Amino acid sequence: MNKTHANPWVIIGLTVLLLAAMAGSCLLGAVDFEASEVLQSPIFWQLRLPRVLMSVLVGAVLSVCGAAYQSVFRNPLTDPYVLGVSSGASLGAAVAILLGLEAWLWGVGGMALAAALLTVWLIYRIASIGNRMHTTTLLLTGVCLTLLISAVISFLMVLNHEKMDSIIFWTMGSFGSSSWTDVVLMAPVAVAGIGVVLWHGRDLNLLLAGSEAARSMGVEVERVKRVLLVATTLMVAFAVSSTGVIGFVGLIVPHAVRLVAGPDNRRVVPYAMLCGALFVLVCDTLARTLLRPSELPVGSITSIIGAPLFIYLLYKNKRGY
Amino acid sequence: MIRLEHITVGFGQRTILHDLDARIEEGCITAVMGPNGCGKTTLLRCMGGLLKPQSGQVLVDGRAVQDYTARELAQRVAFVRQHQQTDFDFSAFEIVLMGRNPYQHHLQNESQADWDIVERCMRQTGTWHLRLARPREMSGGELQRVMIARALAQQTPLLLMDEPVSNLDIAHQIEVMRLLRSAAHTVVIVIHDLNLALHFCDRLLLLHEGRLIFDGAVAEGLVPDRIRTVYGVDAHMAEGRVAIDY
Repeated sequence: MNKTHANPWVIIGLTVLLLAAMAGSCLLGAVDFEASEVLQSPIFWQLRLPRVLMSVLVGAVLSVCGAAYQSVFRNPLTDPYVLGVSSGASLGAAVAILLGLEAWLWGVGGMALAAALLTVWLIYRIASIGNRMHTTTLLLTGVCLTLLISAVISFLMVLNHEKMDSIIFWTMGSFGSSSWTDVVLMAPVAVAGIGVVLWHGRDLNLLLAGSEAARSMGVEVERVKRVLLVATTLMVAFAVSSTGVIGFVGLIVPHAVRLVAGPDNRRVVPYAMLCGALFVLVCDTLARTLLRPSELPVGSITSIIGAPLFIYLLYKNKRGY
Repeated sequence: MIRLEHITVGFGQRTILHDLDARIEEGCITAVMGPNGCGKTTLLRCMGGLLKPQSGQVLVDGRAVQDYTARELAQRVAFVRQHQQTDFDFSAFEIVLMGRNPYQHHLQNESQADWDIVERCMRQTGTWHLRLARPREMSGGELQRVMIARALAQQTPLLLMDEPVSNLDIAHQIEVMRLLRSAAHTVVIVIHDLNLALHFCDRLLLLHEGRLIFDGAVAEGLVPDRIRTVYGVDAHMAEGRVAIDY
């Protein structure tokens, strides 16, 4: 019989692997240098280290959010990207830039959060019929909101030529401009948000059994859902406001983890956190080294892997978590 | 145990339960019966605190059901639903283990004692051999028994069951009913089989068009006259059993 909690050896193993990959990634890039010179190099301190840290933080955050969304919405095909929450955050960020809120430390993140929360609320209101959420309605709502939001963003870009570049950035996703400021903003949000999701691991399992069943087994369903949605949306909003929309991570990583570790969220969430960090780190390293010195958007790499997986899952229509 | 004080429930224009007043006796198996759509499930959901009546109130151990936290209530009342959500990949053992949730704190893992309780409940319901099976690999009856095991694992003094034996063959129906008798719970059970109710239940709440038309001993309630009124079929008693005249 499987134990229900995470295996500490798996956690240690994945952490070691992640640290090794971070070290390796810091050595790779447009400029080569010897391992011995690294610590003296400003490229390492000012560019590569914050970038590597951001990719690790954002990868962990997006994967944990995906795992949480799949339980809260009781649907294996959801993550913040598919439901349009990431796009909502990018719209908020774009509006903040146009309003000149960049000057404030929390300006862009705050607007992204407000817009993302609004998107989640809309999805929740539109897609829930009575107590249930139908897969088709949920996914179509997400698709429509994404289309609507990208149309609004295009509109904003046409109206504001001079700021087009900085807005495009939010719709594509890149770690190219990651700085220590981003790390300092993202790290506490990631720690707190992931902590909240880990704390509710067993509640996430019970939510999968249905709202009423979870309630009769002692879960304060409405409160738990609200706390989880706010915590995950906060994480997504901050990830998007510093790196833009990176698609499908929240879909791919929890699925891959479940194939190996089973459905229990007390294992899935911590494993997905570490695997997601590793996955986005590798994707970003590929993005900046494959065609060096030029760079690919990291979102294109995650989408090239993620979109076919999504289609495969739809095709197979396997209703398992 | 449970007191229903003048509860009225409706959705939109439609009233499901009209001014229903009853009490559930401790240590008894109470059958809730009546034709389809008469409000049986609604009544059970009110008792389980899953639905708030528009007027009146439900008292569990003398305290309004809404005043309990989900966790406190789940330590007193377990609920077996008629339809199960089964679109996940938990094994039967993991599903039954979920029934131990009301006794655990955040981040706390189930103890050996919890595992022993789960094993005992699964053996009682004849599902231990299914412990590694996933819901989609089980038959309807097997899944139903797993859900009964989960409710038993909650170790509550009160068990609410919405048609728990409807998916079972006759042998398993008898087995489950015997189990409920021997478990010495207070049980409220929605059941359709008149003779199963006569044999295994003590009391009867008979519903007809959202009104309670009988509250008392089951043998006094299931008489041909009343069966005709409620179900519109003719019946007679034969050797202490209800025989339907087709």
